[in-house]
Amino acid sequence: MQIIENANVKEKLFFEKLENGMPVLIIPKRGMKKKYMIWGTYYGSNDNIFIVPGESKETRVPEGVAHFLEHKMFEQENGTNSLDVLTALGVEANAYTTNDHTAYLFEGTTNFFEAMDELMNYVQNPYFTDENVEKEKGIIGQEIMMYDDYPDWKVYLNAMKAMYHNHSVKIDIVGTIDSISKIDKEVLYKCYHTFYNPENMVMVICGDFEPESLLEEVKKRLKSVEPIGEIKRIYPDEPTNIVKEKIEEQMEVSQPMYTIGIKDKPIDHMESNQIVQKELAMQILLELLVGKSSYLYKELYNKGSIYGGIGYSYEVSKSYAHILFSGQSNNPEEVYEMLKKQIEYFKKEGISPKDFERIKRKIYGEYIEEYNDVGNIARMFLTDYFKGVNSFAYLEQIKNIHVENLIQLLEDVFNEDKMVISIVRN
Amino acid sequence: MEYIENDIKKGIKLHILKTDKFKTNLIAVFLTTALQRETVTKNALISAVLRRGTNTMKTQEEISKKLEELYGASFDCGVDKTGDNQVLKFYIESVNDQFLPQQEENMLKSSINNLFEIVFNPLMENKGFKKEYVEQEKQNMKQRIEGKIDNKARYALDRCIEEWYKDKAFGLYKFGYTEDLEKIDEENLYEQYKTLIDTCKIDIWISGDVQQEIKKSVEENQYIENLGEREPKYQTQNEKNNCKIGEIIEKMDVTQGKLVMGLSVNSENEEEKYVALVYNHILGGSANSKIFQNVREKANLAYAASSSYFRYKDNIFISCGIEISNYEKAVELIKMQIEDMKKANFTKEELENAKKSIIAMIHTIDDEQDTGITYYFGQELSNNKNSLEDYVKKIENVKKEDIVKLANQVQINIIYFLKNES
Repeated sequence: MQIIENANVKEKLFFEKLENGMPVLIIPKRGMKKKYMIWGTYYGSNDNIFIVPGESKETRVPEGVAHFLEHKMFEQENGTNSLDVLTALGVEANAYTTNDHTAYLFEGTTNFFEAMDELMNYVQNPYFTDENVEKEKGIIGQEIMMYDDYPDWKVYLNAMKAMYHNHSVKIDIVGTIDSISKIDKEVLYKCYHTFYNPENMVMVICGDFEPESLLEEVKKRLKSVEPIGEIKRIYPDEPTNIVKEKIEEQMEVSQPMYTIGIKDKPIDHMESNQIVQKELAMQILLELLVGKSSYLYKELYNKGSIYGGIGYSYEVSKSYAHILFSGQSNNPEEVYEMLKKQIEYFKKEGISPKDFERIKRKIYGEYIEEYNDVGNIARMFLTDYFKGVNSFAYLEQIKNIHVENLIQLLEDVFNEDKMVISIVRN
Repeated sequence: MEYIENDIKKGIKLHILKTDKFKTNLIAVFLTTALQRETVTKNALISAVLRRGTNTMKTQEEISKKLEELYGASFDCGVDKTGDNQVLKFYIESVNDQFLPQQEENMLKSSINNLFEIVFNPLMENKGFKKEYVEQEKQNMKQRIEGKIDNKARYALDRCIEEWYKDKAFGLYKFGYTEDLEKIDEENLYEQYKTLIDTCKIDIWISGDVQQEIKKSVEENQYIENLGEREPKYQTQNEKNNCKIGEIIEKMDVTQGKLVMGLSVNSENEEEKYVALVYNHILGGSANSKIFQNVREKANLAYAASSSYFRYKDNIFISCGIEISNYEKAVELIKMQIEDMKKANFTKEELENAKKSIIAMIHTIDDEQDTGITYYFGQELSNNKNSLEDYVKKIENVKKEDIVKLANQVQINIIYFLKNES
């Protein structure tokens, strides 16, 4: 196996790409009792139009299939449910679907290899029937309704709708009651056989292991599947401009909730280190803009316009990218206007090197802290891998970030005509 | 991991959780006091005001900048209801020196000093806290208390507890009440702060790759030196409440109904609480549980369906999100599961699986710094010191007949349902 070491956090990554094309990443953690295994496929809620290798026509599937498939994978032909089997082994099992990937995982202190048997068995053996697909529609219907009652989810989704004309990132990962009603077992099998090919999947394991022998255990449990070649994914043409600047919705909340978005360009063409540098520079800049020691935070806090701070995130992928700011405020419009002003101020006056260095230290510390927990580590390496990034790169690249990178970002990304605000209020 | 308990003074303890598994050191100060209607709001507000400024770091901005300099040492504070006690918790987490990119000042000592500074040396103005901070935090607290309604599932659970424990300590909301806020000013709040600091139980926690010598730096810290001995005023016994409330239905703008059922377990002693843990796990504690299997998997009535055991109060709360029209069906189905437990209708396998899951969970306590602190704090509060090994043994020893006996002591006290307006 290839060994990659990071001297700052003092951890090692063992890496191997198997013959079937699947990468396996192992991060040993001596002394930890918890072990964590996650197996992901590069297939999420955004992949609704694609061309199956070997076919000429494109396939269109209803929204919410990736998530529906995730639910159904647990069901086994012998009548058992793998979630129950794993729980019975004393491990905590789960699965989740994001915009760009689906992952199956478990975490535990006992019966690791028995649990690995079960996980690898169920992910490699789908069993869908008309009956069990129909049944799942009831459960997922309740899940959709549960999200309907979360104002924070609503306000997020509306911000997506304000930014994106066509891209499926604007649609709920779980789909809608209407879209899931169109799902049948044929659709599920087709998506499974296309996207659950080892070539399209990544496995990450973290815990107290000998990497080489663990890799053999993984290989033993893999079915032999022929690689099918590249899946062509089709995303609807997405204009660079926004749909509309403001969306408001009424819900019973104590305080208005807001999400402010800035639409950015996707990263299709960038090198791994460029992605990392852009994300790091963005993180430092966003912290300087709205973090706990920022001017904006102090002003808004002292006015009583925000409490609980302003959350921020930067999401970047091959087909979309955006910045989000979110929180609760009695006057979201004021937060929006002051944020715009602060961006202008930074553009005009520049960024203080002293503040920059301090925030850089903070971000460094936060990356180190990620390595406390086996689950955090494994999820981080998986998510980053799908972006084409080795997670250690963040610790290595941070020293290469300079004030100039932030200035460049301000010019390239922070444009008023790319900004939207979504509000949920009474 | 090695756990070392040190008495600093009467009523003040230092707990060291020595471990080299982590990249960070976690330091915490817990102030524990009995939950009371008269002081609940003030205490919650104190925690919010303390993080605003100290006599040497006068603003939140200064505190934040200082912590950012320390490689993003993160400060956090919160208010918890732990049984009949209100606990104010303050944390600082900072990177262990060996993972810094260059040689720096001792991060652990700086972090400890900064945390003590925030808790024990608040910014003073005349005879009270800084007026501006108190007024702003009153506003924030008002919003936070009103924010109860934003998470509907959590709100339903809070309302269920409030109705069941009406006029009792456990029924109080941990952040207090908006109507109290008007009467609070910088002086009477500071009075309460002094009373609290002089009389509450103080627990200091340090988890990380630290040496026993750290005890000396804690003892020699000027703020710790200034603290007096005390007979700490907190509840070691939690009040029982067995009154039958029946059914309560309330309306709000929700798409999905939120059902909460409150159960008294009636354990006869501390030992039987281990049986209750296993009982709860079989009933609704996992994806294999009777409630999850029957309400979600078989009847497809819910997405979320589970129960949890509140050890301090010896209560179980069952929560489900359901279609509003399925209310009766769901209640009936849950009652059937509770009856099944009484009739010993659960398999040996279900019992073994539940025990296995709980034991696996016990094994992870050491692997997370904050979970470790929470565990030993629970032991400290119930004055019932068990090592993790003892805890595992007690779970292993639970037998089917113990659970059936306990199941027949369990009773439903309250059924709460939050539905839509129509």
